[in-house]
Amino acid sequence: MTTPDLSVTVGGLELANPVLAASGTFGYGLDLDDLCPPERLGGVVTKGLSPKPKAGAPMPRIAETACGMLNAIGLENVGVDAFCRDTLPTLVERGVTVIVNVFGASPAEYRAVIQRCETAGGIAGYELNVSCPNVSSGGMEFGHDPALLEELTRLCRDATRRPLWVKLSPNAPDLVATARAAVAGGADALSLINTIRGMAIDPYRRRPELARTFGGLSGPAVLPIALRMVHEVHRALPAVPLVGLGGIETGLDAVRFMLAGASAVQVGTATFRRPDTMLRIIDELAAYCRKTNTDRAASLTGALEEIS
Amino acid sequence: MGRRNVTARLAARRDLTEDSFSLRLRLEGAFDRPIPGQFVMIRPAGGSQPFWRRAFSVAGFETDGAGGWLDLMVKIVGPATQAWHELPLHTPVEVLGPLGAGYPVDQAHGRLALIAGGIGLPPLVYAIPGLARRGVRWDLYLGAATASRLVGLEECSRLADTSGGRIIIATDDGSAGERGLIPVVLERRIDAGELYDSLWSCGPMAMLRAVAEVARRRHIEAQLALEERMACGLGVCLGCVVPAAGGGHLRVCREGPVIDASRIDWSRM
Ligand SMILES: Cc1cc2nc3c(=O)[nH]c(=O)nc-3n(C[C@H](O)[C@H](O)[C@H](O)COP(=O)(O)OP(=O)(O)OC[C@H]3O[C@@H](n4cnc5c(N)ncnc54)[C@H](O)[C@@H]3O)c2cc1C
Ligand SMILES: Cc1cc2nc3c(=O)[nH]c(=O)nc-3n(C[C@H](O)[C@H](O)[C@H](O)COP(=O)(O)O)c2cc1C
Ligand code: FES
Repeated sequence: MTTPDLSVTVGGLELANPVLAASGTFGYGLDLDDLCPPERLGGVVTKGLSPKPKAGAPMPRIAETACGMLNAIGLENVGVDAFCRDTLPTLVERGVTVIVNVFGASPAEYRAVIQRCETAGGIAGYELNVSCPNVSSGGMEFGHDPALLEELTRLCRDATRRPLWVKLSPNAPDLVATARAAVAGGADALSLINTIRGMAIDPYRRRPELARTFGGLSGPAVLPIALRMVHEVHRALPAVPLVGLGGIETGLDAVRFMLAGASAVQVGTATFRRPDTMLRIIDELAAYCRKTNTDRAASLTGALEEIS
Repeated sequence: MGRRNVTARLAARRDLTEDSFSLRLRLEGAFDRPIPGQFVMIRPAGGSQPFWRRAFSVAGFETDGAGGWLDLMVKIVGPATQAWHELPLHTPVEVLGPLGAGYPVDQAHGRLALIAGGIGLPPLVYAIPGLARRGVRWDLYLGAATASRLVGLEECSRLADTSGGRIIIATDDGSAGERGLIPVVLERRIDAGELYDSLWSCGPMAMLRAVAEVARRRHIEAQLALEERMACGLGVCLGCVVPAAGGGHLRVCREGPVIDASRIDWSRM
């Protein structure tokens, strides 16, 4: 068989392959250049960027759990200006598909990040991290309230014509309702899932492992939940492009997410365990396609067969 | 940058004290010579445990025609370090490294105090031959709770003989050397007239903080090798940070693990 075609399209955005680096696990795009060159990936989602630099949460910020980890980094980042000035030009020159992950404490902050990026140019699209509290109206997370989410998405939609993805929170009370709200607000695609709220305790010191007590769970521990959520949203909104993530470590994991309805996938925590994991996933995906006579990886999306 | 992810084999293991041991890994293929203070992240190949790799300072490195030998010293504190004590020889091991910033060996001059507590000896032992080549004179302060916990005494004595250093031992209970905490013993000696151009230390955070205090009071530069929990060791998870003087953070795995004490904001630590 000839080389399978790994290219995919996510809501109008063409990617050379369906494997992207997940936000917060690959730095700003060049941090792992020596071990995993970003241009070999379908794309890179940056660490979440806010209008101004942010110092993040106190230590300890991370804890190891069974088949996963908890993090409460508190969205530490260099700020959108530093990213656009110091890193973006090199990424663009190298031909990397860059998705900027955006967050803020208010809708205006989200829009400010996008507006700053629009002046820089070369960005492929945006992903809104809506798992943050809306400080400007009582602290409810944007991603937990469909009305708030729709309004936020619309405001960002009006600030750019580039692809706009909304990254759904698995902690929302009604996942499908938030998915619908993001689409109603103008999202081109939805990525899911962000981390699941969890906790770890040191029994001898009788203290939480994380300074913030609660943190977000990621890694293989969350994979079945993420897969279920991708499939649930795909069933409810079959026409909406999805980007699946949560615990992906192998090419077969990526295939599973695509069968469940994802057009592309992201890999996060697995990069910490092995920095070249994404390159291996791309190779394993190609091997799967060859083995199963799949000419185009894109044909895997939603190709799940139900048990009759 | 010289970081690589390679497969190695567990070539040898030797007990040092009742809860510490040395490991020798055989690296096949290229691996950049680590700078003393740099570390590696390792885990048994193929398996899924532990979830994160574990960080260990390089304690020795040699090359021959076919590859390299990497020496580590490990103290058993939990499941992963326990597992390394039992892992069969020849087991394949994934090694990521060399990582982070080491001691400024190239700028070392005059007279150094090397201060090791707990399992803090590996990077200092590895630094000594290079210091000796530069003609730097060194005093090694070696601290432990009690005599039986002093790691690597034999090796240090050999290094002292061959490269003209001195070893000062301190135990909390006085069962070997001077009685007291190592930073207190250090300051006592400085009071008594010892002159040092720099203090290089590695060990538990409480000891490093005390060494930083001595350095500040006596106007001596201090280079500290820090330890924090690490998920990636590569600078991308931001899980390993310490507060920086003047604001922001330093990543122990990238800007560190060896950090000038004056770059740390101890009040926010
Ligand atoms: C840069 C660096 C260099 C290191 N060099 C050495 C070395 O040369 N020899 C050596 O024996 N150990 C070294 N360590 C510490 C070593 O990584 C930990 O002891 C190890 O990860 C513990 O794993 P475990 O599963 O056995 O214990 P765990 O169950 O993970 O931990 C047991 C206890 O140790 C604490 N702990 C876990 N990880 C760390 C850590 N990274 N730093 C401090 N405390 C920790 C935990 O909070 C817990 O209280 C180094 C750590 C770093 C960051
Ligand atoms: C250390 C760490 C930092 C993260 N930072 C961000 C972030 O800044 N923005 C965001 O949208 N998601 C962030 N995430 C979530 C991941 O992008 C991803 O949604 C989640 O970890 C699940 O995927 P995984 O199991 O492959 O890691 C972070 C995750 C981790 C582990
Ligand atoms: S361990 Fe991940 S940034 Fe340092």
